[in-house]
Amino acid sequence: MSGAASVTFDHVTKRYPGSGGAGTPGAVNDLSLEVPAGKICVLVGPSGCGKTTSLKMVNRLIEPTSGRILVGGEDVAARDAIELRRGIGYVIQQVGLFPHQTVVGNVETVPRLLGWDAARRHRRATELLELVGLEPSRYAARYPSQLSGGERQRVGVARALAADPPVLLMDEPFGAVDPIVRERLQNELLRLQESLAKTILFVTHDIDEAIKMGDLVAVMQAGGRLAQFGPPDEILASPASDFVARFVGADRGLKRLSLSRVDALELMPAVTASPGDDAAEARRRALADPFPYLLLVDAEQRPLGWIEQDDIPTTGVLTEELAAAMSPLLDRRTTLKDALARLVEAEVQAGIVVDRAGRTRGLVTAEMIFDWSRQTKAAAVASAAGADAVGGHAGVSAG
Amino acid sequence: MIDFGWIGGHLGDLVFRTLQHLYLTSVAVGAGLAISFGLSVLSVRRRIAFGPVIAISGLLYTIPSLALFPFFVPITGLTDLTAVIPLVLYSLLIFVRNIVAGFDAVPTDVLEAADGSGYTPFGRFGSIELPLALPLVIAGVRLAAVSTIGLVTITGLLGDKFGGLGFFIFEGLRHSFRTEIFLGGLGSIVLAVGVDLALVAVQRRLTPWASPGAEAG
Repeated sequence: MSGAASVTFDHVTKRYPGSGGAGTPGAVNDLSLEVPAGKICVLVGPSGCGKTTSLKMVNRLIEPTSGRILVGGEDVAARDAIELRRGIGYVIQQVGLFPHQTVVGNVETVPRLLGWDAARRHRRATELLELVGLEPSRYAARYPSQLSGGERQRVGVARALAADPPVLLMDEPFGAVDPIVRERLQNELLRLQESLAKTILFVTHDIDEAIKMGDLVAVMQAGGRLAQFGPPDEILASPASDFVARFVGADRGLKRLSLSRVDALELMPAVTASPGDDAAEARRRALADPFPYLLLVDAEQRPLGWIEQDDIPTTGVLTEELAAAMSPLLDRRTTLKDALARLVEAEVQAGIVVDRAGRTRGLVTAEMIFDWSRQTKAAAVASAAGADAVGGHAGVSAG
Repeated sequence: MIDFGWIGGHLGDLVFRTLQHLYLTSVAVGAGLAISFGLSVLSVRRRIAFGPVIAISGLLYTIPSLALFPFFVPITGLTDLTAVIPLVLYSLLIFVRNIVAGFDAVPTDVLEAADGSGYTPFGRFGSIELPLALPLVIAGVRLAAVSTIGLVTITGLLGDKFGGLGFFIFEGLRHSFRTEIFLGGLGSIVLAVGVDLALVAVQRRLTPWASPGAEAG
């Protein structure tokens, strides 16, 4: 198995008998989308929008009323349901660990069903526990009741990955843990995905989680209709409808900023000087620059503080005591949203970007972030428009 | 007063009647468990069966034991079967309630995870549902065993061939001999407590995961 496989919904509809047909909670209406191999696609929407139904049709826990679902180009309806499920990882919100089996027993579930011998199962389970950050010697023999919520969910992920399936289905996997643990698990999954490169279908009702986790985001709305499908940036920059605009929120501009990092910006060079430098010369250089402050740095270029242009002495040398204020230190991995938040919090015009050793690399201002947002948004809108023109299926390469 | 000398002189009888008591209890509880298990699985799979099953076993439970034990004599004669059939009928209600509750207690997310992992329906039943229902099934066995041990004494009604430790009670009543009544009653209680404790040990052994603080070796 291993590797990854694309997942395609081809005009998939699920109606429930009895009540209003397509309007029933959980119904899905003519869903078509393609998730390329190795990508995370997040299905997001309000409750009852059919996102979980869509997920469960992939491993045939639910059968569609009409339409086809292809995994790796092969129609799932043509495959034996039991064998299909053993080849697709499945993680659910309540985890569903088997309470009567140990951690290692739970992780070995699918390999056991596939008939692997005990030694191979054990090797694989140990490897997976390490992968999800659970020390095998400490955790292998525990029962699920002896684990914290976060640990249970890690075991759930390890169980889903045990037979190295090309596709992973995750139904609100981090919905039941507290926000701090959730963020850690999200980050761990993204880190794992860098090396695993599985095709992951991920269901959530949380738009922030969708934006964070998804290479692609499928926004679904009541009645099981696909409201918009594309990379998160495109959805935020150019919501396809009022529903999507409301769903992603009035702060979608800020959310877009959380998708990019400081290294996306061309930094503004800082005028710097060090204690002991000639004050007159530093003053002349500072006044020649539009930015009204001189940044005092140490011999290693590490920032010490700001000196306002007018406060730079006309004679003598610069001293550390002259530095009157400081700015938040940012690094290249800081998201633009965090950078802006810290500028607002510190009530300063510019943040100082430093490298790993703390050396000054340049400055970031709020204005630079606004400019970046404006320019990239125009590009994303154009890309979304292009995607619409070919029926809402494209936009994949932009991810 | 209790005549310990008499008891000392009848140790052989005591052993025989204790074994008979255990024998009738085991046969009845075993048969009751087997029948109830079938009825319970049916009730869990086809919910519509649950109401009638509970109603009938509840109705059987209301029949006075003094009436039910002699009832089968014309049909099955004075055989063990005559003693065992009522015991089995009385155990059904206890068993079915507990076994169905056991299967109902299996969390739906566990079943969903099992289905999603690719268990066959039969595999899921044997590897997931049954083990998880086991604590309540064993709780049912404990209740049924204790209740049956009490009822076995009534089989003494059918004659000296039956009764287990109840034989002493019936004989004591006939001769107004308190020592025998005491021996039969206390023996039955000790047996019930002993069997219950043994079943607790079995439960611990079979469901280590259900004990708090447990860790597999």
